[in-house]
Amino acid sequence: MAVSGLAPYCHEKLFLPELKAREKDAALVEMVDHLVASGRVKAHGVILNTIRERERIWPTAIGRGAAVPHGRSLVVPELIILFARSSAGIDFGAEDGEPVRLVFLILAPYQDKENRYLPALGKVVELVANEATRQQLFEVKSFGEFMRIVEGLPA
Amino acid sequence: MKGPLMLLIALQDVDEMIQEARDPEKQSVMKKLGFKVTNLDALVSSRKKLADQLDKRTLTLYERMRTRYGRAVVPVEGQICLGCFMNLPTRNIGASTERKDRVEVCENCGRILYWL
Repeated sequence: MAVSGLAPYCHEKLFLPELKAREKDAALVEMVDHLVASGRVKAHGVILNTIRERERIWPTAIGRGAAVPHGRSLVVPELIILFARSSAGIDFGAEDGEPVRLVFLILAPYQDKENRYLPALGKVVELVANEATRQQLFEVKSFGEFMRIVEGLPA
Repeated sequence: MKGPLMLLIALQDVDEMIQEARDPEKQSVMKKLGFKVTNLDALVSSRKKLADQLDKRTLTLYERMRTRYGRAVVPVEGQICLGCFMNLPTRNIGASTERKDRVEVCENCGRILYWL
C-alpha cells in the first residue's frame, strides 16, 4: 500500500472513534466542537457556518460509506484533518444511499501558500476509495491503528 | 455567531466559496474528486443574509477592501499584517487581547485584521 502523506495533518486530538450524533448536521456540530476543544481553532461559529454552507452547495458524501466535508477559512491557522467514525452510520444524502460511517473533515486556511489543501483532499478521496483501506477504517478503534492505516503500514 | 468581525470572516469565507463555485477550472478539479456544485443560488442567498446583519459602514469597508485587494480580512501573525506584511503599530497590537471582536484595520493597507 502506498504512503498517503496525510500523517502530518492528523493528530490524536482530532480522532473521534465513535460519533454520538445520528444525523448529518449534529455530526458536523460534534466535529467542530471537538476541533475547538482541541485548541486548533477558536472561531466555532465561523467554521460551522463555512462547512454547512459548503455542504449545501457541494454535498460531500462520496459514496460507499464515506464523507469528506471540507472548506477553507481565514480562522484556520494550518491544514487540519479530523477523522470521525460512526458505527451506526449517518444519512449524509449520498447518491448511493449508503449511510456514512467514515468522515474526514478537512480544513485549511486560504492563505496557505504551499497549497496543500487540494492534494490532501485528493489523497483522502483516494484513501477511502480503496476497498481494503475502507474496511480497515470501518473497524478502527485507536489512533495508533488509524495512523498505521493512513501511513499505509501493515496492521 | 457573534460580533461584526466574526460576521465579516464568515462573509469572506462565503465569498471565497462563491468565487470558487463560479470558476470553471476549480469546478472541474472538484468534480474529478467527486464533488458537484448543486445549489449556488442558496449560497448567494446565505451571503445576503450575512451581509444584512452588518451595519452599512462596516459592510462598505469590507466591500471596498475586497474590491481593492481581493480579500478584505487578513490574518495577523507575530504582529505582522499578512495582507501587506508590515509590522503593526502598538495601537493595533492592543486589539489582539483587549478588543477581540472589534473591527480593526491595518494602518498601512486598510485591510481588516484577524488575530489567529
